[in-house]
Amino acid sequence: MVLSTEILGIKNALAEKMEIKAKKAAAQGKPKYPNPVFWRCKDNMDWKAQGENLKEVGKICVDMFKEADIKGFCMKQVGRCKNDAARVALEVKQGIEMSPEERKEVFLYGERTLGKLYRKGDMVPVRREWRGAADTAYDFYRWGKMWLMLLTTFSRDLIPALNSTFYYRWMISYFCCVGFMDKNTSGQKGSALKMSHLMTYDIFRYVAENLVFLAKGDKKNGNSSQLNKKVVLFDEMTMGQIMAGFPDLLGIPYQLMPVFLVSEIDQLTCVPYIDAVESFGLPADTCPVPSSECGALVIDALPHMGSCFISSSMPCDGSTMASSYMSRRFPDLPVYHLTFPVRYEDEETTRYAVDDIKGCIKFVEDVTGAKWSWDAYFKQMKRFNEETAYELQKWEVNKTDYPQIIGPSYELFRKWNYEMDGGADPRVIKTFEKVNDIMMKAYEKREQAWRNKMRYRGIVWSCPAHYYANFSNWLANCWGIDILVEMESLNFTKVLETEDKEEALMDLARLYERMVMRRHTNGGYRNVVDEMWRQVEDWRAEIIIMYQNVACKNMATLQGVLDDTCRDRNAHMIWIEHDLMDPRTVSRKTMRDKVNEYMRTVMHAEPVDPTLVDFDDELGM
Amino acid sequence: MKDLKHLIYFESLLDNADNELVEQAKKDGKLIMGYTCYHIPEVLLNVDNCVSVRLRAPRTGSIDISTYYMSNYVCEYARALLERAIEGGFQFLDGLAGVDACSMMNRFYEHFGILKCNTKENFFVTHLDVPYKTEDFSFNHMQRQLEVRLLDVMHDKLGVDVSDAQIRKAVAEHNEVCKIMQEISEMRKADNPVITGYEFHVLNLVTYTCPKYLILPYLKETLAELKKRKPDEKLPRARVGIVGSEIDDPEFTKMIEDAGARVVFDRHCFGSIPGREVIELTDDEDALPQIVRHYMRTSECARYIADEKVQQRRDTADRLAKEFHADGIIYEQMKYCDFWGFERALVSHVMAEEYGWPVLSIDRLYNAKGSGQLRTRFQAFVESLEIKKIQKGGKK
Repeated sequence: MVLSTEILGIKNALAEKMEIKAKKAAAQGKPKYPNPVFWRCKDNMDWKAQGENLKEVGKICVDMFKEADIKGFCMKQVGRCKNDAARVALEVKQGIEMSPEERKEVFLYGERTLGKLYRKGDMVPVRREWRGAADTAYDFYRWGKMWLMLLTTFSRDLIPALNSTFYYRWMISYFCCVGFMDKNTSGQKGSALKMSHLMTYDIFRYVAENLVFLAKGDKKNGNSSQLNKKVVLFDEMTMGQIMAGFPDLLGIPYQLMPVFLVSEIDQLTCVPYIDAVESFGLPADTCPVPSSECGALVIDALPHMGSCFISSSMPCDGSTMASSYMSRRFPDLPVYHLTFPVRYEDEETTRYAVDDIKGCIKFVEDVTGAKWSWDAYFKQMKRFNEETAYELQKWEVNKTDYPQIIGPSYELFRKWNYEMDGGADPRVIKTFEKVNDIMMKAYEKREQAWRNKMRYRGIVWSCPAHYYANFSNWLANCWGIDILVEMESLNFTKVLETEDKEEALMDLARLYERMVMRRHTNGGYRNVVDEMWRQVEDWRAEIIIMYQNVACKNMATLQGVLDDTCRDRNAHMIWIEHDLMDPRTVSRKTMRDKVNEYMRTVMHAEPVDPTLVDFDDELGM
Repeated sequence: MKDLKHLIYFESLLDNADNELVEQAKKDGKLIMGYTCYHIPEVLLNVDNCVSVRLRAPRTGSIDISTYYMSNYVCEYARALLERAIEGGFQFLDGLAGVDACSMMNRFYEHFGILKCNTKENFFVTHLDVPYKTEDFSFNHMQRQLEVRLLDVMHDKLGVDVSDAQIRKAVAEHNEVCKIMQEISEMRKADNPVITGYEFHVLNLVTYTCPKYLILPYLKETLAELKKRKPDEKLPRARVGIVGSEIDDPEFTKMIEDAGARVVFDRHCFGSIPGREVIELTDDEDALPQIVRHYMRTSECARYIADEKVQQRRDTADRLAKEFHADGIIYEQMKYCDFWGFERALVSHVMAEEYGWPVLSIDRLYNAKGSGQLRTRFQAFVESLEIKKIQKGGKK
């Protein structure tokens, strides 16, 4: 059913009123985020089409049910129950056999070994982790809070949001986001746990809100033309700072939710996209990020929405080329190609980048009718600068003998809520403040981020596997390798200009040129090789976890030089191959085995948790 | 057809990067400028006493050492060049003009410096940043890059006169070569061409890899010979064009022609389209900006992502296929080439579905001449084109 023009007219008038109200609130200095106008944009669902889609989905479900081995499934569940019973009995027995001191230790500080949480063939751990009484209580509190936030956010426009699950398989993967939270906090306690939860909460709020907007705008679903007029889609990892001057528009990183970020939650999400685009003819040696994005376009797994698309040449050759697939799928969507210079260290090139930014701003103005606001831009960049200061504070603490903020949440929060958000969301600064408070207090108390487990100072270089986003967590839990920082975090930190307009654009260009991955892989080998050794020294890293995304040509082309320089320095560098979004090429287990082998044979080390050396999570989310 | 008088000589010139004519130029006191990519305007490497050599790695065998440095999932052209450089095969160069157009070639240039592959005192490797689109500010950017990153370096390091007069002189010589090559190229449009695709490929390659002033007499003679040459009576079974990434091995073209086809146009890197167009200069503006516009506008590199360039590439392939009366198009890419990997996969569908051309889509290694699999695919493609022709005739 499509709403009549009359009703739509009334709704549009209401939306306009809301917009004026929101602008007034913003003028008073209390802007709500996201702009309430975006939420209030009315949907225009075609109910007949939804009915037909539901019918088709229903048929598929019936077919799946008919083809399912119900008896086998039931037998498997019985087996699982038996296994659970045996495990519980064993755990009780182990508890009884413990000395009172040991029991007290476990009660207060949690279980010592985590390998028993994994079971072959399971998608999720057999149970949640016991972190000690206080931390487990806190963990459940945050778990409940996360669910509440997710339900509240989705309920702001529940029908299109839930309806997305009938169109896009990636939406289903988001149902296990709370499990992702557990993976990222595995083994963490005390202040480290609190900080991780705070950051993970913001990550999922960012995800949930964008998911609702995607559902609202999608022509197959919410079909909100009001919202689509305000939506500017961004390519892949292109940061949102350029939208700071358009406070009345909504910038959405287009492929982030359906492809990029979800692949960190569910390791199998991108497999169908990769297969589809390879069947289409794309060689298998290309980076899985643009491949998956193109695959998603080939099988129509991306929402059809927005007023325009800002494609970009970042961060690599493959990403550059994916934009032509986008144009092919949505030929009517106006596109601006934001193409920053590759040799960015040469300041001669920055002028070109500024011209390109100006072209992009004009394009957005022309397409949407919005006007660039310097006041809004400077206001957001001031907040972003403040966030940068907090980020630098984290680095300072982690460089000391008492690093506090370790684990995947730190890197993920930085990527999504700091770099991609770019100071747009005022709520994020509060999280920065809270995390900073906890971190500084923990530092003053000389707390251990990983209690009694910290053995080696580690640094991660090159791009990590999306399907093993919490690998640093395993490194800490199993071998006591504490990842102090990752290459992808070490990007631009200059305070951005907030007064002079021309210089502000120069700074914005410099920021984009030095965005995640691009900062190191572009502009010359020194940005990867020399920079790595500089950082290793700066952070006093004892082990380098050197990821090798088998399809990343920018990094692969330097493997010999990296090896040569490593030998010259007699450093410990562990090469870990992976295929970014395709766990079939290199599994998580294979990645772990590379570390296990190195630690045993070269370092002659004993694991801090032997139960994590070998376990099966092949089918895990 | 009767063999071309200089064909064997031309073939021998392609056996080494440092060939007989390059050696002759060195003896004449010339400076040898290496480059690999169309993004670098060839004419600028021929100013004053410089001559350009587009780098190839003929007779490549093992590429183990470069694979150690660059890994095995990387463009074999880049690896083969690095291997040759490590072996000392590019010691004859006085400068290397690199562009940061694709990451793998860029790393080749960087390794050239890191591994000190050339020990000449004033030898330089320069890296230019090239734009992805053809806006006005992109032209300005490219011009500035060429001034600062190439011409100034040539002047400062080697004392080359890079004045406007010298650039115009280089363009005049370049145009002389282009006019001959264009005239020869036009012969490929005939129903029964007097030149094979292989021969044209060889001729075109020597224009890229030999000093212009030394190769010109041979080209002139060959043109005169072709004008009188009589074609074979038997027509080729099918006429095809090649579109795609780098092919510096004429044996690849030969393999297609051995399968019964005639290659009638070469829209690939190291091909003549683009590359052998006359550069028209006016006197009311410096030569450099005009050259920049010429190269950027004629470039068909898949790296250009702007919509108008994407469309240009498709329209060019369509136009060439029509002008040269091709029956089908072969889209090819060097294995591991990201730009052409994405382009080939998509455009091979577009050209077939929207433009109606029969398309063969392949990826290949640098050393492809021994590939039985490719040979079979070419044979199958030729047969399919023949069947289409028969069916078309039947309908008439």
